[in-house]
Amino acid sequence: MEKDRIQRIGRLPNEVERVSHLTSRILLGRFGPLIIAVILLLTLPPFVPMDIRLMMAKFLIFAIFAMGFNLVFGYLGLLSLGHGVYFGAGGYTVALLQYHLHIDSFWIAMPLAILVPVVLAALLGPIVLRSTGMYFLLLTFAIGELFYSISWQARFMSVIGVGGERGVRGIPSVIYPDLNIPGLALDTTSFYYFILVGFVICYILLYRITNSPFGHALVGIREGEPRMQALGFNTWRYKYIALIISAAFSGVAGAMFAWHNTIIDPSHFAVGTSFLPMVMSIIGGSKVLFGPVIGAVIVIFVEYFASIHMRLRWPLILGSIFVVAVMFARAGVGVYLERLWKKVGVRYGNTKS
Amino acid sequence: MEFFATNLLNGLSFGMVLFLIASGLSIIIGVMGIINLSHGALYMFGAYVGWTVAKQYGLNFWFAVLSGALAAGLVGLFIERGFLRRLYKQMNEQVLLTFGFVYIITNICLWVWGGVAKVPFWDPALSGSFDLAGLLYPKTRIIVICIGVVLAVFLWWLQDKTRVGAIVRAGMDDKEMVTALGINMGRVSMLIFFLAAFIAGFAGVVGAQLWGVYTYQGLQTLLFALIIIIVGGIGSIQGALTGALLIGVIDAFGKALFPDLAMFTMYIVMIVILIVKPSGLLGRKVQ
Repeated sequence: MEKDRIQRIGRLPNEVERVSHLTSRILLGRFGPLIIAVILLLTLPPFVPMDIRLMMAKFLIFAIFAMGFNLVFGYLGLLSLGHGVYFGAGGYTVALLQYHLHIDSFWIAMPLAILVPVVLAALLGPIVLRSTGMYFLLLTFAIGELFYSISWQARFMSVIGVGGERGVRGIPSVIYPDLNIPGLALDTTSFYYFILVGFVICYILLYRITNSPFGHALVGIREGEPRMQALGFNTWRYKYIALIISAAFSGVAGAMFAWHNTIIDPSHFAVGTSFLPMVMSIIGGSKVLFGPVIGAVIVIFVEYFASIHMRLRWPLILGSIFVVAVMFARAGVGVYLERLWKKVGVRYGNTKS
Repeated sequence: MEFFATNLLNGLSFGMVLFLIASGLSIIIGVMGIINLSHGALYMFGAYVGWTVAKQYGLNFWFAVLSGALAAGLVGLFIERGFLRRLYKQMNEQVLLTFGFVYIITNICLWVWGGVAKVPFWDPALSGSFDLAGLLYPKTRIIVICIGVVLAVFLWWLQDKTRVGAIVRAGMDDKEMVTALGINMGRVSMLIFFLAAFIAGFAGVVGAQLWGVYTYQGLQTLLFALIIIIVGGIGSIQGALTGALLIGVIDAFGKALFPDLAMFTMYIVMIVILIVKPSGLLGRKVQ
């Protein structure tokens, strides 16, 4: 490869050229975008204003949620409109532990915030997985709204009478978790890095899951369930396990969101929350693992700018994002970006892409 | 006895409005295989338009009903012609698109009409109460029940006794075959969608007599409609009617007998039905 190039150029490149050539090859190569993204995510936050740092944390949280959701949506091909249930369950677990039991240790809160959604998914799974396609969608939607009603009604799940004459439902003033590391109390910067570590762990786990035989079996079920059954797969069990795994990741995201947002309320169970990972997956591209991450970047950034300039019109913008995503970016922006990147690579000398 | 009769009538009037909402959605899902989540938003939009016509311009109530229905129908037509037509058989995209329209319509309504809930605006000539063998009952609710019955009969006639209904029923079973017989399914779909949205707007103005209009109604109504479709079964007027009346009556009695659990009775019915008969009470098979 290198020899070819030297022959073509006809002289040995000097040291500077060699280094710059190497850098451009790394940056324009297959992992280039990943490297650039990692560098940005690692170095940027301490130097930007606090609200942008918080927005970046939020985007990482929703990226985890969307990736977890996409395991069921993109890989398994089941459209669930009830993932807010698991997200909210994770969030409420953390918030209720703090509010009622005054436990803010990360090491207790996080395992419970995973366990509760997992148990919920294990209980709801047999009900929702009786149905497929349209009925699955309607059923998960209704179950999401059921949890919304429960969290609205249940006394222990809200602090009534905080602000506003009708009272705020939900649990306000959730604080950052205690990591039980001496000398480390989380502030917005360290909380961001804490979320980043969580995001990386989740990404690696999901990468392993989707590239395992299990992940391929899920894609097989999406493409043709009867065929997988004929091959001897117990497809119901695969779906059930995928739902539970997805719930676990949603719970992680929910817990992080409760810490980030400082307040968790019934709407986080409801369909509005469940639709966010879906729109992120579709915008970013639901057939690839990093698709939902890109979708999350786009949606959260737009939300950030909308919240500055036209807070009241945000639902209108969000709805328009849905429409535009469906009409013009159905394959997913992630896929377009990947193609664009290949073109850039070819154009600027990286023949191997 | 009076307790029973009052709650039964409450439940029936509630159920009739629910039927108006759910019937359109059920047919859309059944005939076109389109899940239109913006159906509830169309209901709300129709109600707002009706409110404006009746209160702002002080026009006749029936004119308000008609204009609300027409407004919702036109918006529905726009959504179908402009967008949904291109998303045939792509359920995920339909769901996302129509939910986007829920946000858009809700926010525009909030923009135009403000966040304050609008109270019922019944025509004075039609208000007051009705003497039902010693039981004084609001005339509005009786009229709502009558409207529901008339519309149910009309829709049943349309579905079972007319050529359009026959095409629609055939389309549910085998769309390709119907197309092959020389029927323009695109136009039939458009007509059905308009009709469904029209009825949703109609239901909006009628339902506003019971609950008023507010901006969260889009989602709430959608939820009611979906529960009824799940309970009654997709794709038939009879199914929607059964589900709606069942849910309406159970909800009314639930509210009277167990006020603490009032929010959950619908869900409990739904889950029980799903476990016993997953395709709904009178469901037909939808591919």
